[in-house]
Amino acid sequence: MATMLEMMKSNVEKNVSEALKKAQDVQGKLNAVVTFVDPTEQLENYNKNGLMAGVPIVLKDNVCTKGIETTASSGILQGYVPIYNAHIVDRLQAEGAIVIAKSSMDELAMGGTNKTAYTGPVHNPYDLDRISGGSSGGSAALVAAGVVPFAIGSDTGDSVRKPASFCGICGVKPTYGRISRYGIIPYSSSLDHVGYFTRSVRDAAVALEVLAGRDDRDMTSSFEPVPHYLDQVKGNLKGKKLAILKNVVDVIENKEILDCFNKVVEEVKKQGAEVKEVELNEDLMKAMLPTYYLIANCEATANHSNLDGIRFGLQKEAKSCEDVMIASRTEGFGSLIKKRFVIGSYGLFEENQDKLFRKAQKVRRLIVEELKNALDGLDGILAPASGTVAPKIEDQNQDDLSDSYLVAENHMVLGNFSGYPSATIPMGEVGGLPIGLNITCHPFDEGNMFDILRGIELITGLEDKIKEVL
Amino acid sequence: MKDEAYFKQLAHQLMFELSDEEAADIKKEFETLNKQLELLENVNTEGVEEMVYPFETPTSFLREDCVENVVSVEDALKNVHKSRARHVLVPKVVK
Repeated sequence: MATMLEMMKSNVEKNVSEALKKAQDVQGKLNAVVTFVDPTEQLENYNKNGLMAGVPIVLKDNVCTKGIETTASSGILQGYVPIYNAHIVDRLQAEGAIVIAKSSMDELAMGGTNKTAYTGPVHNPYDLDRISGGSSGGSAALVAAGVVPFAIGSDTGDSVRKPASFCGICGVKPTYGRISRYGIIPYSSSLDHVGYFTRSVRDAAVALEVLAGRDDRDMTSSFEPVPHYLDQVKGNLKGKKLAILKNVVDVIENKEILDCFNKVVEEVKKQGAEVKEVELNEDLMKAMLPTYYLIANCEATANHSNLDGIRFGLQKEAKSCEDVMIASRTEGFGSLIKKRFVIGSYGLFEENQDKLFRKAQKVRRLIVEELKNALDGLDGILAPASGTVAPKIEDQNQDDLSDSYLVAENHMVLGNFSGYPSATIPMGEVGGLPIGLNITCHPFDEGNMFDILRGIELITGLEDKIKEVL
Repeated sequence: MKDEAYFKQLAHQLMFELSDEEAADIKKEFETLNKQLELLENVNTEGVEEMVYPFETPTSFLREDCVENVVSVEDALKNVHKSRARHVLVPKVVK
């Protein structure tokens, strides 16, 4: 398996067939696939001159695919076969990509572990006892294991960028509105982004050109023109103005992760970039998680009221319409989803809205203004993507109120609050497990973001790194 | 402090039931959540407008008055468990 750009030069049918076989072979170890897709028909008609001609790809299972079961890894959507494609599926196929599988995810994209999929947890290729991260964990594991060079994810809090860190690959969340979300099963509409994984920054630049652009069926998609991003990816760091997010670095307890990050930053400086420190208001940083939790859960409980067991998905027999809905939703949703819906509904009660949901929306504005001010005069802000390596599957969350959890493990939600583009690339390993570096840039400045990341990729030498699991 | 029965009732309004274990887990989660919400309350938001979307760019427009993106009845019924006479069939509502 090679990068996407390299693969396009070689035998397409062989590549696709090998990718599908490998996906099937590693399934017993990774459990990353929900549905395998027969590529025969696609291979007869694909665009041989497209930007992703003949590239085998994987889609997260919250991406609607016409005629192919789409469950979002939830029991409530078992048996649901969409009658239309998501916008991005049409875009990818128009450029010649070949879909070989739908990947596992945290149920309805709510979670950061990929342990809540109704098909069971996804395993990290670097250590099968560890999580791949979530919610786009199946896609991340399949790219890291060298099954495909590209996979779609979605990112509402850090659901592409955190698994990218845990699996040692590139994870991109572009600017809000850059990619249409038509046909993506929603979680939290004001925070949801389509994102994706690759093993090289240059592949990431090509992929965004394929995916980006206005789509009238998603009213939040942007009219901003889509450039030829790859032209901007030179990897020259000279003159780039960067900053380290001090709040994150200060609370990370893992010294090896900090050492690795600092070494990369020193090299970035040697390449001619100016690197300073920025520090955001501490109270706002600590308020990120509850702000996210409230907005996301309040929006989710409203978005998922259509999962009623009547029109699609799981249906339980009962004597009345109401009982059908209650029985279907009771059996179809996992415990974590129910918990999030209860919290979201609580936040939306008339008597709670001002002090909870609306308060969170106001704090969100303050956080975004703080980030915008910090980015002023800079090209991007850098931080370790996580303060830890991938946790063990049986591990529980860290202390939910510690600074290291509140700040270091949740800072990437800044990109979702603000809609600013943000991406993670591998920066090294600790104890044989990958760790990632995250960058956040100005809206619609992805070309510059890829250029900086390419410079860092040339320093680390971690392009196209694959962890074989067979 | 809300008890398990409160959360079971709330869940029922959301059209699902909670097991005893799930209700107890949510009660525990609320204790953590309430502590985290104190962090939210620490932030002075006087005079601050709610942020509903990341950008202030308009998201609704008048379009040409022409039919597009139509879902046929046949397609709409493809995922329905039971249908009759081009309608979704559900248990009798009026008794």
